[in-house]
Amino acid sequence: MGPDVERELIRKCKAGDSRFYEPLVRAYEPPGLRLALGMLGNMDDARDALQGAFVKAFEALARFDLRRPFGPWFFQILRNQCRDQLRSRKARFQLEALDERLELRPADPETGPERYRERAGAKELIWEALARIGDEHREILVLKELQGFRYGEIATILQIPEGTVASRLYHARRALKGALQELGAEYP
Amino acid sequence: MLDRVSHEELMRYLDGEASPDEKAHVERALETSTELRRELTVYKAMKDDLLTLKLATGDGQDRHSVWHAVSRQLGRPLAWALVILGSLVWAVHGLYVYMTSPIFLWEKLATSAIAIGILILLATVIWERYRTSISDPYRDVQR
Repeated sequence: MGPDVERELIRKCKAGDSRFYEPLVRAYEPPGLRLALGMLGNMDDARDALQGAFVKAFEALARFDLRRPFGPWFFQILRNQCRDQLRSRKARFQLEALDERLELRPADPETGPERYRERAGAKELIWEALARIGDEHREILVLKELQGFRYGEIATILQIPEGTVASRLYHARRALKGALQELGAEYP
Repeated sequence: MLDRVSHEELMRYLDGEASPDEKAHVERALETSTELRRELTVYKAMKDDLLTLKLATGDGQDRHSVWHAVSRQLGRPLAWALVILGSLVWAVHGLYVYMTSPIFLWEKLATSAIAIGILILLATVIWERYRTSISDPYRDVQR
């Protein structure tokens, strides 16, 4: 969806017509769900958080600055929603539930079943390690690696200076490395 | 610091966010420092492994969309506002009619006591249910 279309939809939503909110919800649902799932670890909690974030975003649209892009602003709301959920509920990162929802990216043509199993094992190990590190570390890794956001976007979503992103990523990666080593993973 | 390359510089280099100067600086340091090369290799390997993860978030079909649930909730604030406003108007009017009615004072006091008692009971039950619901360890368990 282009920024102009997005802006026009938001303008109509601000005028009170919620029908124009649907394209925005559908456009931001897949990345939003990935973010929430990465942070919360299970689909039910992720969908709850996403739903809550969309409702909160709609209610806050009156205060939304149309010169800004909707995406980072919405992900900021979603991230806060996930954190609230992690704090107030027992929605701790649930690895078992997440494992069932893992998918392997299409394997390279030359990779065989052996490599597939190897990769599946490595993935389990990474999820296990992600479950062990703190929520703050996990959220920045999800934003960077699973969502592919640039530093500037991460800074907006996390409401931190852009210069802090690299430092936070370093600590998160170091924590992940420690967790992986505890689990017996070998890195070169 | 890793051979005068800060952790932040290394992260920016790893993520392709380094400025040309920073990039050249890190590359120069990599040529001379085995420790830095090893550090970078570990983070690259971890990054590659993280990139292989993909979360299945549904196939994008309509039945998976949260839109329907969201749209149902969008009208609720207005509905609540209308219910509260209507109730307030009726309450004020009812109170006025009740207070100006030509019945005995003891009748008014007795009726008021019953009404206030019911309201207190209702409020305590609602509050109790709310407290229970937020501390219930099984509230997410579907029957």
